[in-house]
Amino acid sequence: MDILYLLIPLSAVLVLGILGVFGWALHGGQFDDLEQHGEEILDIDRDQIDLRQNP
Amino acid sequence: MNAATATLGPVAGDAGLAALDDAVERDRFTRWKDGPGGHAIGESSFQVGGMHCAACSTTLEQALRRVDGVVDAQVSAAAHCATVRWDAARTRPSALVQAIVAAGYTAVPDTAAGARLLRRQESRQALWRLFVAAFCSMQIMMLATPAYVSGAGELAPDLKRLLDWGCWLLALPVLCFSAWPFFAGAWRALARRRIGMDVPVALGIAITFVASTGAAFDPGGPFGAEVYFDSLTMFVAFLLGGRYLELRARHRAAASLEANAGRMPQTVMRVTPDGGVEVVSALRLAPGDVVRVPAGDAFAGDGAVLEGETRVDEALLTGEARPVAKRAGDAVVAGSVNLHAPVVVRVDRVGADTRYEAIVALMREARTHRPDVLRGAERWAAPFLWVVLVLAAGAAAAWSVVDPARAVWVAVSVLIVTCPCALSLAGPSALLAAAGAMARRGVLLRRLDAIEGLARMQSLYVDKTGTLTEARLRCVGMERLDGGAGPGDALLRQYAASLAAWSLHPLSRALAADSEAPRFGWRDVVETPGQGLQALDAEGRCWRLGHAAWAGVPRPAPADAGTCAWLACDGQPRAVFRFDERVRDDAAAGVRALQASGVRVTLLSGDTPERARRLGAALGADASLGGLLPERKLAAVGAAQRRGEIVAMLGDGINDAPVLAQADVSLAMGEGAFVARAGADGVLLSSRLQDVVAARALARRAMRVVRQNIAWAAAYNAACVPLALAGWLPPWAAGLGMAASSLLVLLNSARLGRAQPAAA
Repeated sequence: MDILYLLIPLSAVLVLGILGVFGWALHGGQFDDLEQHGEEILDIDRDQIDLRQNP
Repeated sequence: MNAATATLGPVAGDAGLAALDDAVERDRFTRWKDGPGGHAIGESSFQVGGMHCAACSTTLEQALRRVDGVVDAQVSAAAHCATVRWDAARTRPSALVQAIVAAGYTAVPDTAAGARLLRRQESRQALWRLFVAAFCSMQIMMLATPAYVSGAGELAPDLKRLLDWGCWLLALPVLCFSAWPFFAGAWRALARRRIGMDVPVALGIAITFVASTGAAFDPGGPFGAEVYFDSLTMFVAFLLGGRYLELRARHRAAASLEANAGRMPQTVMRVTPDGGVEVVSALRLAPGDVVRVPAGDAFAGDGAVLEGETRVDEALLTGEARPVAKRAGDAVVAGSVNLHAPVVVRVDRVGADTRYEAIVALMREARTHRPDVLRGAERWAAPFLWVVLVLAAGAAAAWSVVDPARAVWVAVSVLIVTCPCALSLAGPSALLAAAGAMARRGVLLRRLDAIEGLARMQSLYVDKTGTLTEARLRCVGMERLDGGAGPGDALLRQYAASLAAWSLHPLSRALAADSEAPRFGWRDVVETPGQGLQALDAEGRCWRLGHAAWAGVPRPAPADAGTCAWLACDGQPRAVFRFDERVRDDAAAGVRALQASGVRVTLLSGDTPERARRLGAALGADASLGGLLPERKLAAVGAAQRRGEIVAMLGDGINDAPVLAQADVSLAMGEGAFVARAGADGVLLSSRLQDVVAARALARRAMRVVRQNIAWAAAYNAACVPLALAGWLPPWAAGLGMAASSLLVLLNSARLGRAQPAAA
């Protein structure tokens, strides 16, 4: 059970890290408009991916 | 920056665009930032028209980015709004608008962008606080679980301390960041020497945190060994969740209002001393300027017609749909629309001096004099909060004598168990659920306390035009002038309708909408503004439709001037068509339903008393008052309020706005001028009177739910406070009780959102 002494502090720090990531996403505007980007894949006028292109 | 005033010909199109580059105009929709290399980067917002799907936004973004000097372009399909960042040295706003127009859309500068930006920041901040509180409370619950499930002695003391430390660490962001609004609110209330909901909340949070921190780091100390970080954070998350929902509702209402703005023209065509025409921003207009106003444009200021003859739609001001004739010397008001022919107008008053702005100001003033609608929940909140604080302090004092080790926990238990959480949710949650249900039926509310007014209203004052009658006119009859010598009645009607289809005049539209007519092969159709239409039919006969004089009728009755159209064939008057307002289909049924639910319906109108009385009698209204100016309408509503009635007002047009603000609760028709909507508590999107009946039934149910919620919260407190005071309720049970009572209140409120079969 000694591993708990490492895992508990680690998880607490991890939570703070996750909060940071969410904050970054939120302030980057990712939650401002939840519909638009999902509908973009229906856009037929968009530039097609060039399948012949070599990686 | 000097004003780049474009001097161009009288043709609007491009010239209107050029005025966007005027510094005054440009700064209304542009925010400035310093770009790399010292370039000024403008961030302009446009409202985009013609967007139907998300795909349009990509097309438009690409089109804008191709413009030289555009740094970035973002188009939101949901908000129909484009934000473009551009280099002031390389491009101009007019080029951006041209690019949008070239891509097949329309664009107008978005002056409300600043307010929207503010709302976005507010919304992001609220979501951020809520997420921090909710996520941390989840994690803390996990760390706290071992302490709840383990038996005595099963959890090693040092492991318990480690878990407590983890809880403390995760509670820190909740306390310092998420709970900040409560501390700030409590401080503001105390600074004004008042007590608010935030005071006991902040106090409970602070005491719980301090005591739990003490217990976590010094289990043998004065605070004992129990920590309550889980109750604390969950409690903050619950409260923030409620506030976030309220914020969303408020923002949605504000956004829908802004969508209706933009009645005043952005640019005007000013006549220069040398006789030329320059297009300038409406803000640059000064009294004494002479402007040319094309047909279809709104007047930018109050003034007088110098040249030309036209008809003006002053529905904005009077609520009357009938166009008003204006000739040289007649006064025109800002915000009214020139329907007919281009005129030259001398501007006498601009900006805040115009009648339009005066009515808006009157409306604001009336709103500050609004009689207090008593708010049930909040009326009880202050005394309740004092009682809670006194009880908690008293319990702590008593227990510090009986058993000092438990004193703090008893006080915290009292504060938590009585946390006005359920009580503070009791009102808003029910009202929000009701507002949501109303919105689905097409009644948008601007203020939540309008629901209480709706539920309590005893008397409804209804404006006639645009509310009980439609804003459009309709043809009510035809009278033969040739003694039946010419074509038959039906054929004559068809001739008129078919010819009228060539014109956009309100009377023509009413005539054309009246019957399906064959095309008749009209040729050489000429419309003479202010006079009428002339055309040759397939057999070469010359038909004329319009004014009496135009059709060769010598002396019509003066009362017929605005509401009749004459038809003549080869100079021979054939018929006269009369027009009247169209009563809304559901008006009579709506009035009856309202009366059945105990509401007195009174008709108010600026129209003649005789017409008001006739319509009132036809609809079965309790009273009809005609010939009222806005001031008199205001007085009528004020008199009813002094008699102690709860008055609701349903109106249209700007002239109603002061009355709307004076009434206890006000509703505006969705088709009305936007200022009336801004002043009204709610908007009937579908413009059906029946919606008022449905909204009132829903409001009454909402108030019933509010009362149930308050009763439940009060009963819960009455049961739990004695337990907590006696020391039988540990804080974790208090926290659980608080959460459960809040949840019950929320669920009870959610019942309002469900459809109710034909509510009483």
